[in-house]
Amino acid sequence: MSILSELADLPGVICAGEYSYRGDRFSYKGHMNDEQARQASIMCRATTMSVHMQSGILRNFCDQCGLFPNKGWVVKGPQFTVCVIANVFCFINEAEGSLNQVFKIMRAKLFDVSDDLV
Amino acid sequence: MPSLDQLMTLPGALAAFEFSDKGELVNGKISEGSSLNETALDLLSHVCVANTSIATMQARGWENMTGDKGFYPVEGFSMIGLDWTTVTHGQFGVVIENDKADLEAAYAALA
Amino acid sequence: MIKRLLALDGVQVICQFRDDGAFVEGYGMMPEQQMAGLAMFAHDYKRIVQGNADQLSMFTQMSGWTPPGGWVVHGQTLSVCSIANLVCLVNINEASLTEVMREMKELSSW
Repeated sequence: MSILSELADLPGVICAGEYSYRGDRFSYKGHMNDEQARQASIMCRATTMSVHMQSGILRNFCDQCGLFPNKGWVVKGPQFTVCVIANVFCFINEAEGSLNQVFKIMRAKLFDVSDDLV
Repeated sequence: MPSLDQLMTLPGALAAFEFSDKGELVNGKISEGSSLNETALDLLSHVCVANTSIATMQARGWENMTGDKGFYPVEGFSMIGLDWTTVTHGQFGVVIENDKADLEAAYAALA
Repeated sequence: MIKRLLALDGVQVICQFRDDGAFVEGYGMMPEQQMAGLAMFAHDYKRIVQGNADQLSMFTQMSGWTPPGGWVVHGQTLSVCSIANLVCLVNINEASLTEVMREMKELSSW
């Protein structure tokens, strides 16, 4: 089963998607339309680029900095949370899903993905 | 408002810190043996403010465009590194080890 | 060719970087290792500005933001400015940013 299908089947997951670091492709599973998934990909890619740079700068100020290399980020709103690891994003409805469960799966499956293409 | 001592009781907590709305470090606690230092925490504070601002812009834009409410106001941002994660909300942040990370508990403690 | 930018008042460093951020060449009063750092920063920052411009276009539904022409980070005495794959460190008390940006734009099209 693909990581997108696995995530999309979890309780509370609205949509799981994947974008190319070049920004020219995306795919998704779940409750979004093509345009929303495209827009979500643009937003997630922009933040990924940003945290990637920040983590590189942080490394200069802390030996063996565990925040480097960056592997992803999470943003939490009042009802929804977005979790991004590597180039995969997951939108979660907090009332029905568990960020910890999503993070655990994404960490296990996506932490080893090379970031050469970032 | 959370206290730094309280945040340091989170599983795997390596540091807890408070910063101004501009991102300058106000106060920080670092666990013994951690390679974090005050300079790194100050920079991390700026990172927290910068990412919360960008996420707020995105939440605003997304809600206006799609009509889906529930992303704004942003109630926290996490930056996930290979071994550690920083979780922030408001003017507080905590660095936790990924192996022991309970992100939901961290957000709840920061609320 | 890019060395001629140093002739402008206030320009302290000029660097060129590849699309992957690797340092190509640089001139001015800065060790080469720092120039490579400046080039990498400019590369990363360029992508962030591109990402923000993409989002601005998307959210405002207005054209004209993309592709971004360049960026300037304005400090108290120093500014870093970039167009295409060139980045410049300038002393703002001595330089004309307009002139520097115009010259960089011209150089970037060579």
